[in-house]
Amino acid sequence: MRLWPRIGRGFGRGGCHGGGVRLGDGRLRKVGVVGSPNVGKSVVFNNLTGAYVTVSNYPGTTVDISRGKAKIDGEEIEIVDTPGMYSLLPISEEERVARLILFQEKPEVVLHVVDAKNLERMLPLTLQLIEAGLPVMLDLNMMDEAEAAGIEIDVKRLERELGIPVVATVATTGRGMETLRRRLAEYVRSRSCAVAV
Amino acid sequence: MMELEEKAEELLETLWLGTEERNEESLPLENIAEAEKEPLSQLLKAGYIALSDDRVRLTERGRTIARNVVRRHRLAERLLVDVLGTGGMLTHEKACRFEHLLDRGLDESICALLGHPKICPHGKPIPPGKCCQLKRTPARKLVSSLSQLAQGQMGKVAYVYASESGKLQKLMAMGILPGAPITLIQSFPSYVFKVGETQFAVDKEIADSIYVRLVEPEDAGEIIEKELPEPGRKLRWRFGWWPRRK
Amino acid sequence: MSEAEAVPLRYDEFLEAALSRIGGLLKGHYGISRRAVGLLLLQGDPQMEREVKKRDAASYSLLQEIVSQARAHYNQPLSYVIALRRQQEARRLVSAVVTLRGKRRPGFAEWLSRAMMHPVSGSLILLLVLYFGLYQFVGVFGAGVVVDFIEGTVFGEWVNPWVTELVRGFIPFQVLQDLFVGDYGVITLGLSYAFAIILPIVATFFLVFSIIEDSGYLPRLAMLIDRVFKAIGLSGRAVIPMVLGFGCDTMATIVTRTQETRRERIITTLLLALAIPCSAQLGVIFAILSGSGMALLIWAVTVALVLLLVGYLASKVIPGERASFYMEVPPLRLPKLTNILAKTYSRLQWYFVEVLPLFILASVLLWLGDLSGLFGLVIGGLEPLVKFIGLPPETAVVFLYGFFRRDFGAAGLYDLHSAGALMGVPLVVAAVTLTLFIPCIAQLLVMWKERGAKTALAIAAFIFPFAFLIGFVLNLILTRLGVSL
Ligand SMILES: Nc1nc2c(ncn2[C@@H]2O[C@H](COP(=O)(O)OP(=O)(O)O)[C@@H](O)[C@H]2O)c(=O)[nH]1
Ligand SMILES: [Mg+2]
Ligand SMILES: [Zn+2]
Ligand SMILES: [Zn+2]
Ligand SMILES: [Zn+2]
Repeated sequence: MRLWPRIGRGFGRGGCHGGGVRLGDGRLRKVGVVGSPNVGKSVVFNNLTGAYVTVSNYPGTTVDISRGKAKIDGEEIEIVDTPGMYSLLPISEEERVARLILFQEKPEVVLHVVDAKNLERMLPLTLQLIEAGLPVMLDLNMMDEAEAAGIEIDVKRLERELGIPVVATVATTGRGMETLRRRLAEYVRSRSCAVAV
Repeated sequence: MMELEEKAEELLETLWLGTEERNEESLPLENIAEAEKEPLSQLLKAGYIALSDDRVRLTERGRTIARNVVRRHRLAERLLVDVLGTGGMLTHEKACRFEHLLDRGLDESICALLGHPKICPHGKPIPPGKCCQLKRTPARKLVSSLSQLAQGQMGKVAYVYASESGKLQKLMAMGILPGAPITLIQSFPSYVFKVGETQFAVDKEIADSIYVRLVEPEDAGEIIEKELPEPGRKLRWRFGWWPRRK
Repeated sequence: MSEAEAVPLRYDEFLEAALSRIGGLLKGHYGISRRAVGLLLLQGDPQMEREVKKRDAASYSLLQEIVSQARAHYNQPLSYVIALRRQQEARRLVSAVVTLRGKRRPGFAEWLSRAMMHPVSGSLILLLVLYFGLYQFVGVFGAGVVVDFIEGTVFGEWVNPWVTELVRGFIPFQVLQDLFVGDYGVITLGLSYAFAIILPIVATFFLVFSIIEDSGYLPRLAMLIDRVFKAIGLSGRAVIPMVLGFGCDTMATIVTRTQETRRERIITTLLLALAIPCSAQLGVIFAILSGSGMALLIWAVTVALVLLLVGYLASKVIPGERASFYMEVPPLRLPKLTNILAKTYSRLQWYFVEVLPLFILASVLLWLGDLSGLFGLVIGGLEPLVKFIGLPPETAVVFLYGFFRRDFGAAGLYDLHSAGALMGVPLVVAAVTLTLFIPCIAQLLVMWKERGAKTALAIAAFIFPFAFLIGFVLNLILTRLGVSL
């Protein structure tokens, strides 16, 4: 049952162009990588694009946006790495930068990377992204550390509860990244078609 | 000082809210509900209030008393919400009933047990008592600011006291919201604590604004009974709904 | 494939009513759902208020009314009420999907983490990091051993003679020969400085720095130092741009964006420009002062005092709210070699793309200046200043290099010292003055971009005379005290 109509979802996004075709204005489909600081967004970005943006173990490494291209399932997709954001209500300059990407660039998929061992602190942003009608996909990263802390997550159940695709990864070793790519490709495709309907 | 009836105290409270907290000199008589007007003459006679041009104002002596009533009312609210966990059921009447029981002396003990809170659950200021300046600490506290915890002590976030919304937002971003389990790891040179699986470092100002509940509601009654002087005991039997230990 | 529908979270009755009223009034396009726009309005997001004022001007006052009604309905700020509800839902989800297995006991990483944050053992660890990481590895190894080899052997014995030969053979005019291989030649000065002196120092520094960054040491350092930084109007958070500044002040000035208040950003920018030597400077200074522990100590103490003093005064003068300190302390992690190498490489690349053209340009300008006699004039102008702080006139040229880039000046200092022209007290005075001396062109440009022209120029205008003043005072004290180094 839908409690809230899907208002505003994907305003102005291009229609359905089928797999592998660029959008009407010639721009590539886009995936925005967002999440709190220091959860591994840049590692995910590097893994997807094969480029290198700085990865460090402290919050606030990334202050600017980085863009790269990933070849997923034979399709070229633009990936955007953003500075960390805690919520959609920004406190700092970097958060404002990250939010702008979401609101103005309308990526086909918003990949929310979270620290799996701190799920409770991370989920409020997922809820906000869903609330904003953005096409969210959740990446439970740092699963190795979560497991070491004795935390086990029922990914399928979380997927059902949230109603969005959820994957589990260890970005630094590449575990789960294949699944992430596959689900990302599926989602990107279904998103750019769903809008037109 | 003469013993005041509950009704008289209620009226003093109303007057405090209407004048002190609105930066007004006096309150028009018509702003006071008919039902509340009954003890007016008693208070006039005691010299706690003064009347002029259909307006009431608190005298110097009256202000001291009213301030205390408000203090006890808000402490009672804190006790009900943070410790006894009556969260949603908090009503003005319940707090008012409680407040009259927190006699002088008792309010200081409760205040200390609650870690000398600065605001009530509604965000209104709690006028500080002598105990707050002395920072008296009882053997076992129910609630304490994070900065007052011992290293390694844990509890759950009771509430945060933030004077400006930016600070509140920072705390929210860190996941510091009521109910979150929290452990103090270190207190010098900065405060380091753990919420969930994450550690944070903060300065004293922020550590001062996080209040931590140290006991579960079921255990609160017993501690209050132990820590409070004689009159406190009656609290328990007067309020049969006080949660009992399982 | 049947895709589950993501259902937005529901708030309490009152908020839901307010949200649907707001949703009904919004006609503009915002790129996100009206529900989210409504929630941001309720939470008082200034940017969204501006957007709505622009796109839904007609109903803006009505919207404002709904918002203020909602605010009045709650005792707490709406952002708090809303956050509580989200937290509640997050907690519900977590209890539904997360199972906790036995807790592991805290291991070595946690033990080390506590040791790093303890005031006593933490200070000790800081000293060890500075001594081994900076002094031994960057100063003694990078700026000493490696530079000696590359400058002395590779360039001095092979490249320079060979290139000189080559140029002399192909280019007929002395003047043009000088452009490449003269005193200020593009190859003998520009490239040789860049590759023989700067590269080894910066590379060793970036390597150490990457290891420190990836281990998670910096947030712990921030926590340790917060109290000291509060005295200079900053918070522990400023540790990150400050430490980055030791790598490259330009890069660090960009990172000041992570700071919360404008005041903090200005003070950090000022201190970066004034008292934080970049890695090339630091390495050169370690290398040339390493002969005498006393000289190094005087340099370090003077620069640290200047940093604290200027920071303290700036915090008194610059208006704005006080900084507060809060920082996530991530777990200590074992740095990954691939990441360290990739990061060091990418930073070096970034650095050289920025530096090399400037070094070459500087060589060309110096060559032109030398040719036209303009150079002599400028040096002539600088000489009295240099003499004023007790330095031999030859050092004037080093300050001129310093205008182009800090590291260029540092390399010049190194050269002068190796030639035996600068020793003892004047060497320390020159090192201090050059450390404080004007931010290089690149840094000035970044300051301009990040802080605005007024602030950037004001900072530069303050630093120039101030550096010489400190040099003068230091020289006076050291000579009066009869210090011999
Ligand atoms: N153990 C572990 N560490 C990770 C994982 N992903 C990222 N990291 C580390 O987390 C830190 C932050 O990563 P980064 O990509 O810079 O985070 P960002 O701020 O979200 O971009 C780095 O030290 C990474 O090596 C993971 O899956 N497991
Ligand atoms: Mg990043
Ligand atoms: Zn009352
Ligand atoms: Zn209250
Ligand atoms: Zn008190």
